[in-house]
Amino acid sequence: MSLRYLAKKLATLAVTLYVTVSFNFLLFHVLPGSPVQLLARSGHFDAAARAQLVKLFGLNHPLIIQYFTYLKNMLHGDLGFSYVYRQPVTSVLGGAIGNTLLLVGTATLVTILVGVWLGVIAASRAHSLTDATITITSLGLWSMPDFFTGMILIFICGVWTHVLPISGLVTPGLVTGTWGHYADIGRHLVLPALTLTLVNAAEFSLISRNTLVDVMVEDYMLTARAKGLSRRVIVWRHALRNATLPIVTATALYVGMILGGAIQVEAVFSWPGMGLLIYNAVVQRDYPVLEAGFLIFAVVVIATNFISDLLYQVLDPRVRRT
Amino acid sequence: MGEHATDEVGQHLTRRKFLALSAASAGAIGFAGLADSSAASASSAASTLRVGWTTPPDVMNPFTFTTTASNEILWLIYDTLMEYNLQLNPEPSLAATQTRSADGTSFTYQLRSGVSWHDGTPFSASDVKYTFDIMAKHNLGQAAWSLADFKSVTVVNPHKVIVQYKLPQAFDPSLAIPIVPEHVWSKLTPSKILSYNNPNPVGTGPYKFKKWVAGQYLQVDRNTKWWGTPPAVKSIIWNQYENSDVMVQSLASGQLDILTEVPPVLWDGLRGKPNVKPVEMDSFSFHHIGFNVSKNSKSRGNKLLLDKTVRQALGYALDRSQLVQLALAGHGVPGSVQLPPSFGKWQEKIPRAQQINNDPGKARKILDAAGYHVGPNGVRANKHGQPLSFRLIAIATTDEDVLAGQIFVKAAQAVGIKLTLETLDNTTLGNVVYNTNAPNWDIFIWGWDSGTPDPDYLLSVPLTSQIGNNNDVFYANPTYDSLYNKQATTTNPGERVALVHEIQKLFYDDAAYLVMWYQSKLQAYRTDTWKGWVPTRGGMIYNFTRDNYLKITPR
Repeated sequence: MSLRYLAKKLATLAVTLYVTVSFNFLLFHVLPGSPVQLLARSGHFDAAARAQLVKLFGLNHPLIIQYFTYLKNMLHGDLGFSYVYRQPVTSVLGGAIGNTLLLVGTATLVTILVGVWLGVIAASRAHSLTDATITITSLGLWSMPDFFTGMILIFICGVWTHVLPISGLVTPGLVTGTWGHYADIGRHLVLPALTLTLVNAAEFSLISRNTLVDVMVEDYMLTARAKGLSRRVIVWRHALRNATLPIVTATALYVGMILGGAIQVEAVFSWPGMGLLIYNAVVQRDYPVLEAGFLIFAVVVIATNFISDLLYQVLDPRVRRT
Repeated sequence: MGEHATDEVGQHLTRRKFLALSAASAGAIGFAGLADSSAASASSAASTLRVGWTTPPDVMNPFTFTTTASNEILWLIYDTLMEYNLQLNPEPSLAATQTRSADGTSFTYQLRSGVSWHDGTPFSASDVKYTFDIMAKHNLGQAAWSLADFKSVTVVNPHKVIVQYKLPQAFDPSLAIPIVPEHVWSKLTPSKILSYNNPNPVGTGPYKFKKWVAGQYLQVDRNTKWWGTPPAVKSIIWNQYENSDVMVQSLASGQLDILTEVPPVLWDGLRGKPNVKPVEMDSFSFHHIGFNVSKNSKSRGNKLLLDKTVRQALGYALDRSQLVQLALAGHGVPGSVQLPPSFGKWQEKIPRAQQINNDPGKARKILDAAGYHVGPNGVRANKHGQPLSFRLIAIATTDEDVLAGQIFVKAAQAVGIKLTLETLDNTTLGNVVYNTNAPNWDIFIWGWDSGTPDPDYLLSVPLTSQIGNNNDVFYANPTYDSLYNKQATTTNPGERVALVHEIQKLFYDDAAYLVMWYQSKLQAYRTDTWKGWVPTRGGMIYNFTRDNYLKITPR
C-alpha cells in the first residue's frame, strides 16, 4: 500500500467527517421549535431563571458563534449537555455505546462466521439438498422482521421454558462477584445476539455461496483438483480467498445497517444501547443527545468504509495497482 | 405530579400516560394471553419488591423532575410535611401535627423529633424554611404552583414552623412539597439547581437511594433510621421495560411483583392466570376534545368555534359510551365534567337527560335554530356562507385518541359539520396548541392527569391567568375565575363542595372541553409474593399515596 494512497484516503476521510459534522450541527439548529421552551420543561421558571438556562446552554449567541463553539467543544471531547438527563452527553452516551458495541459486535462476529461457514457448505455441495435447505432456510429467516424473530425467541425461551432472561442487560439487584456479573450479562446477551444473527446470517451465507459457486467453475479450480488436493483445501484455501472481496464489502455496509437495525432488537429486549437512547431522545426532543448519536453513527460508517478500502488493498492486488 | 401531561412542553408535568399507553397498545396483539400457566414463581428475593414499568424516570432532582416515575421514587426518598394515606386523605408525615388558623391563611407544623437525613445530618425546621423559601422565591420546580399565595415561613423553634399565605388555602401546599436538606442544596445557586441531576438524593424518607443503572433499573433500600413504622420491603427495584408485552410476560412468569400500568388488551389477557391478580381502579385522568376559543385577534383558529352552539352541537353529536367501548375496550367511564369520578363528592353529577351527549337530533335542532343551514355539499354554513368545517388534531401514537378522532369525524358529519383529522407527534401537538401568541388550530384531542387528589389542580386549568401556561383552549371567563378563587379560599368543606359543583357546571355548559372519557387505572400484581395490596382510586402504586409500598408484607 503506497503512502500516497493512504494520504489521499485520509484526506477524503477528514473532509467527509468535517462535512458530516457541520451538516449535523445545522440540521439540529434549523429545526422548528424553541429549545428554550424544551429546557424549561418542568415549567414555572421566571424570566430570570429562563435567561440563566439559555446562557447555561449557550443559546444566547448567534448561530455562527454557536457553530464554532460546537466545533471547539467537540475537539475537546465535549458533546454538549443533555436536556433530559441534565448530564454531559458523553456520560449519557458512554454506557449506551458500550452496550451496543457488546451486542452488535458479538452479533456481527457470529453472523459473519456462521454466515460464511454456511455459504461455504452450500457452495461446496451446490445444487444438492443441503444447499437447498441452507439457502431456503436462510432466505426465510432473512425475510423476517427482527423484532418478530425476537418475540418468537422470547416466547420460546422466556414463556414456554425459562432457560434465558428475556429482558435487560443484568438481573436487577443481583449481587455477585466480577465473574458472576459477566456471566449474568452473557446470559442476557444470548437472545438479542441470536436474533440479530438469525436474521442477518443469510446476507453472508448467500453472498459467499454465490461468489464461491462462480469461483468454483474457474479453470484454476480444475487445476487444483487435478493436482489431487482435497475438496476441503480447495474450497477453504483457494476458492474462499478469492471470494472474500464481496464479503468485506457486505460487512462494511452491514455495520452501518445493523446500527440502525439494532434499534428494534434493543427495544424488544429492553437492551439499553444506542438504539434505545436515540429512540427516546427523538421522543423527548433531547437534541444534544440526538446530535451526538447521529455523529457517532456517521463516524462509524465512515470509519468502516475507510477500513474496508484499506482491506481491499491488502486482499486484492488489482486495487493496489490502480 | 400534575400534568397536562407532556414531558416536553413547559407545563407542570408529564404526558406520561399517552406515550406509555400508545407504545404499549401498538404491540399488544402478539402476546395477549400467552402466559405460561405452569410458570413457577421464582421469587428469588423475598425481601425485594420488583416493580415493572415502561415509563423511565428522568432525574432525581426533586425540583426539576418531570416524570411520574421520578415522582414515585422521590416520594419514598424524601418526606413531605403532610402526605396522603390509602384513602387519599391528608395525614401528618414529617410534621407530627398540623394546625390551620381559623381564617385559613396560616399553617403551624409541629415537626417530628429525632429525624435525620440519610447522610446522618440531623433534620430541623430550617430545612423546611429553606425548601419553602427557595421554591416560592424562584418559582422553582414542579410544586411551585401550590405556593402562588405564599407569604412567609417562620421558624419558631427547631421543631416548629409557621407557614403563612396571603389568602386562605383550601389545599395545604405542604402535601406537594418534598422537604430537601439545606446543607446539600444551599451550596447551589437557583440556576445550578435547574441543571443539577442530583445523582445521590439525600432525604429523610423511608427508603435510601441505592443504585440507578440507566435504562435498566433503579433500586432503593430501606432506611433503618426512618421515623415511621419500618416497612417489610427491604429493597424496591423498579425495572424498566421498553415493551409492555415482555413486561406482562415477566409478571406472569414470576420475575416481577407488580406493574404500574397495563394496556387494556394485555390486562384482559391476564385474567385467570394463576397467581396473578389484575386490578381495575378509577383514575384521576380524562381525555378530552378541546376547542380553540381564543379571543386573541392573532388567533388563527376558526372563529365559528367561538359560538357555544357549535361546540355544544358537536357534544350532542358524540356518543361517549361508544367511545369507551371502542377506544378503551370498556375500561373507562363515559365523560362529562372536568373532574373524574375518583374525586367522589367533589364531582358534579350531570343528570343523563341534561348531558350534552349522544343526541344528534338535538344537535341538528340547535344548529338550525342558530341559522346554520345545510349546504349542497352536506356541510352547514352560517348566513355569510362560512362553512362549519374545522381542523382536528390528535397525537399519532396515542391509539385511543386517533380512534376517537375517527369516530368524532363521522359523528360530526352526521349533523352537518365537517372535520378534517390530522395526527401529529406529541411534542408537535403541544407546541401547536400552546402557541400562545397566535394559536393556529381549531380542535384537538388530548388529556389531563390531575396533579393532586384535591380538585384545585384540574379546576385551575381553564383560568384566564393560566393562558400561556396550562390553559390549553385559551378559555377566558371572569365568572369562572372568580368562582375558582372563591373555592380555592373557602376552607369550609361543605361550602367548598357547592362552589366546586357550580364551577364544573358552568364549564360543562360552556363546552370549551368535551370530556370523552375517564379511563381506568389498570394494574396487576402477583398474589404469591407480597400480600396486603389495597386497591385505591388512582392506583395501588403510581398514585398520590406511598402507603402500599410501606404496608405490604411477605406471603
